[in-house]
Amino acid sequence: MLTQVIKANKLTINTKAQNPGLLNQARIEEIFQCLFDSRYFAYFLVDRNWRIQDTSNNLHELGLQSLAVGVDATEEFDFLAGLDIKENYELAMITSPSGDPIRVIFIPKDSMIFVFIMDAKQEFIRQKSLQQKVNENQLLFETQAKLFAELETAKQLLESQNTQLQEAARLQSRLLSGVSHEFRTPLTSIIGYTNLLLSEDWSKINNDAENYLIGIKRSSKHLLSLIENLIDHGRFDSGGIVLNPKAVELAEIFDDVALLAKPLAITKNITFEVQLDLNETQSVIVDDSRLRQCLINIISNAIKFTDFGGVKITAGWRNDILRIGVADTGIGISEEHLKEIKKPFWQAPGTGKNGTGLGLTITERIIELMGGSLLIDSIEGKGTTVIFDVFAPPMVEFEGLEQQSFNDFDTPLNLLLVEDDSDIAFLVTAMLEDDGVDVTHLSNGALAVECLQHQEFDMVLMDLHMPILDGYGAIEKIRNSGDQTPIVIMTASAIESDRDRAEALGCDGYLVKPIDISDLYSLAQQLGLDAT
Amino acid sequence: MVGDFAVGKTSLTQKFIKNVFSDRYVSTIGVKIDSVIVDDTKLVIWDVAGRDPLSPINTNYLVGASGIVFVGDGTRPSTVKALSALWETVAERIGEVPVVVALNKHDHEDWSVGSDQISNFSNLGWDVFTTSAKEGENVKSLFECLVRKMSQK
Repeated sequence: MLTQVIKANKLTINTKAQNPGLLNQARIEEIFQCLFDSRYFAYFLVDRNWRIQDTSNNLHELGLQSLAVGVDATEEFDFLAGLDIKENYELAMITSPSGDPIRVIFIPKDSMIFVFIMDAKQEFIRQKSLQQKVNENQLLFETQAKLFAELETAKQLLESQNTQLQEAARLQSRLLSGVSHEFRTPLTSIIGYTNLLLSEDWSKINNDAENYLIGIKRSSKHLLSLIENLIDHGRFDSGGIVLNPKAVELAEIFDDVALLAKPLAITKNITFEVQLDLNETQSVIVDDSRLRQCLINIISNAIKFTDFGGVKITAGWRNDILRIGVADTGIGISEEHLKEIKKPFWQAPGTGKNGTGLGLTITERIIELMGGSLLIDSIEGKGTTVIFDVFAPPMVEFEGLEQQSFNDFDTPLNLLLVEDDSDIAFLVTAMLEDDGVDVTHLSNGALAVECLQHQEFDMVLMDLHMPILDGYGAIEKIRNSGDQTPIVIMTASAIESDRDRAEALGCDGYLVKPIDISDLYSLAQQLGLDAT
Repeated sequence: MVGDFAVGKTSLTQKFIKNVFSDRYVSTIGVKIDSVIVDDTKLVIWDVAGRDPLSPINTNYLVGASGIVFVGDGTRPSTVKALSALWETVAERIGEVPVVVALNKHDHEDWSVGSDQISNFSNLGWDVFTTSAKEGENVKSLFECLVRKMSQK
């Protein structure tokens, strides 16, 4: 039958094939040559309904089911599903139902379709080897490209981080320079006044002594606010800032700040004015030390950058909100610098004014923490106005804030002071004794532990960093002995983790140096010591 | 099953039909034909050799197809992007047929298909599935969806 077919067609089957893969005359000749050359080929002949009309008897050699005449070939061979053969057509490489690779060629002629099946194992093996290698290499190439891209990204990230580190190092260097300058100014006053007090004949300088001491106090407070700014910057990053709102009289805060700022303005020969729109005894709940810190930072800047005219402070209170304005007639800020001014360590270039570059950054963050916001309006060459709001609800049933002291206790407080620095110990002892407290001083934790074994005190005021046995060790030993004497820490460390550690060991209060006796008094009251 | 080489066409097919999976990559030569019954419908799956740097898709293998499963590798963005171009090739040869898309290898950590890419395919009326031949994620849903779409046409 096959021979008849070939002869009948004389290898001149007309094809309209134009698509790649369809058979042209040359391809048909090649295929038939292959058929004749190959040991493994088979065929079947179907009508247009895919019913078998004839078949070679070796379909099984190519992994195909042998079919009887009249059977529907699509029932047996999945590769026929959906095919509508109108032109010569070739499936170059498919798997037979048994899994063997075969090539299938369809040649329609009149009412019949000739289907030739050829063994394609050799071609399959050749292609498989080649294709597998090509694809694996391409996958390797893609993986390499991906790794290179990741490497490039990592490199760019490192470069960016390196730039940031260099910038941080530059800012740190500038900060150190600024801090050094800022610290030297008040320290010069403190050392100078102290030298005067120590070296001069008291009988001669007696009239000036008070002014010297006021100068020392003012410079010390300024120094303290600089240190607080530096510490707060680090604490903000670790989320360590906690507000301590309490009842305060607003007018007192502005009086204090004016007392500090006015001399600075006088020194520069500029005016300083405070205009308050407050009730006479406007008492609110606010963290007064943080509010003072913000005011000092903003007013210091205003005075620093104003050489002519003056600085005017305004304050008004409405509906739980305290609004404060600080307006100066200074050098002003350019639009370009306004965008930068709140960034940490940023300092106005070309002004010749040094600083830490932290004041405004800290101030804005504290104001936000106090539920407010800070706005800066400035015209270069004309001056700057800073306006900020803070949440300050009124103190209901305010009973007055007159200064209270340990003298108010029914019986004098018996306090053990544990402090290794003799100057600090001398100072604190003097302040407490002046306030009516009986003070016993010891210079390290070990002495305190031993002393408490045979002597009772109302309260222990203890430093943390001391020789022989530090404050932590002492608290631990005291508490382990069952002694529950209230212990208040008095330390220079404002680090949150130090406080946490001391509290975990059993301390009852934590004060950061320089301490305010009124804070110690409040703690003593909270601990119920005024009832002793 | 149409897509670039090594995107997981064979793995998805074998997972669906035989519930087997192998991590070893074996390239498909020509076309591998399998069949399975889905909801009383015989589904004949032509797992066509993937497009690779040396050769385009052999469109002879697409003749007679009632639907297409486009497969992209979610960890290789170029194979997902290539599906739009492959669609043009397919539509030119066999006309418009129902399409579902498998974004495969969803179990890999370096998955990098954006939601915008998925939206683009959805806007073409294609049902898009994030699949994992390894874990079997959405494999059944993928083929069942295609059968449903082909039956409705």
